[in-house]
Amino acid sequence: MKFSINRTQFIKTLNDVQRAISAKTTIPILTGLKLVLSQEGLTLTGSDADISIEATLATTDEKNQLTVEEPGAIVLPARFFSEIAKKLPEDQMTIAVGDNFQTTIRSGKSEFTINGLDANSYPHLPEIADQNPFSIATDVLKQLIRQTVIAVSNQESRPILTGVHLVLNSGEMLAVATDSHRLAQRKLTVSVPSDVNYDVIIPGKSLIELSRTLADGDETVEIRIAENQVLFKAGNLAFYSRLLEGNYPDTARLIPTSSSTQIEFNAPVLLAAIERASLLSHESRNNVVRLTLNTADNTAIIYGNSPDVGNVEETLQFENLTGEDLEISFNPDYMKDALRSFGQTAIMINFTAALRPFTLVPSEDQEHYIQLITPVRTF
Amino acid sequence: MSKDLYEQLSNIEQQAKLTFEGLSEMKAVLAAVLEKNAELKIENKHLREHLQELGQPTTPKAGAQALSKSKQNLQNLYEEGFHICPYFYGSRRENNEPCAFCNDVIYGERTND
Repeated sequence: MKFSINRTQFIKTLNDVQRAISAKTTIPILTGLKLVLSQEGLTLTGSDADISIEATLATTDEKNQLTVEEPGAIVLPARFFSEIAKKLPEDQMTIAVGDNFQTTIRSGKSEFTINGLDANSYPHLPEIADQNPFSIATDVLKQLIRQTVIAVSNQESRPILTGVHLVLNSGEMLAVATDSHRLAQRKLTVSVPSDVNYDVIIPGKSLIELSRTLADGDETVEIRIAENQVLFKAGNLAFYSRLLEGNYPDTARLIPTSSSTQIEFNAPVLLAAIERASLLSHESRNNVVRLTLNTADNTAIIYGNSPDVGNVEETLQFENLTGEDLEISFNPDYMKDALRSFGQTAIMINFTAALRPFTLVPSEDQEHYIQLITPVRTF
Repeated sequence: MSKDLYEQLSNIEQQAKLTFEGLSEMKAVLAAVLEKNAELKIENKHLREHLQELGQPTTPKAGAQALSKSKQNLQNLYEEGFHICPYFYGSRRENNEPCAFCNDVIYGERTND
């Protein structure tokens, strides 16, 4: 194998692929980066067994300045190789594989020789047949990920809840995540044949990495789902993730269908108030703030209390309060995460009872995005 | 000299292992005791209620919620700090974290499905 390539372009692609490479893997060859060179281009692969990322630098793309002298394949130690590539002196670099997988990296007057590994011993990426691929706009997918992964559980003792439940049914896609304390749900309309149905659980960690890997330049992401793998394709990049096995709990029935008290807030204003109230609640043993809504007086007051430090009380600024009076306590951290996911917008909070979960939805579009928080009983 | 030291170290290692095992065992026993205690408390409450009912047959219970007896049991268990939802049944709720699934089991409206 021998080729020369533009270093900046190469490093950019290498950075993408390297996201999948972990130093802590139990399979030694996965600490390496796989390079496959053909007349069409150079393909880089990285994997940690859960996630695999593959990216191609095409010969046809002039920016790559890729000249293929001799096709071939090699696995190079990712950490050393990427550090070397980043520190080389010139714009162009040449890589040549010699005997016993000894690889020479040359740029200007600098020459490194490092020990590579046989590319044949690198695990094969799953083959995902071209059955029913569908596409989503990149920014929409990134938003969906951002809105749902906040509710994913980080406790490995509940493996199934560490994923996002993705259901595709008659052209509608539903993404749900819950750690049992709170829940986030996003609905999307996807253009697929109505007989294409999927029900899968994608690890939250994979989605976070995917979201980081997706460049803003790519317009759409193609999604392919197989038995135990999902593939996201965007531009020259292919992102594979394993799926979680098992049955996701029925979350549809957790979301209340009616409400007795409704209040409208500007999300950033409420977020700031919750952040203040949580300053003290974090010190207390049970991290809880109390919200009191009084429709007759038209007031909403939040209390935070820590027996050792002191307490805080703030009259909240809101837009609209209707329904019954209510006193409810909840963990302010869940509220903060939920509010941050809404950004600069007006939100509706719907309460049913002091002990029942309440929901947050954007005032504008109450159908497609919902955050649910379970209250804490304090009396 | 260094051999003695090594043996001492081995001994300490053994002791540490034993201590660890002891700790794990104690934790398991404590968990069981707590569970049993919660159960007994509830049972005791029941018996008292029953006793009261026997004493004055037709007293309507003041402040009773619209929850059925069995749901009240579940509520009590939940408030004692245990999951009562099908997914995590019987495990402890850490830091008294709320659980939406348990909440649904206690307060949710059940249709006959």
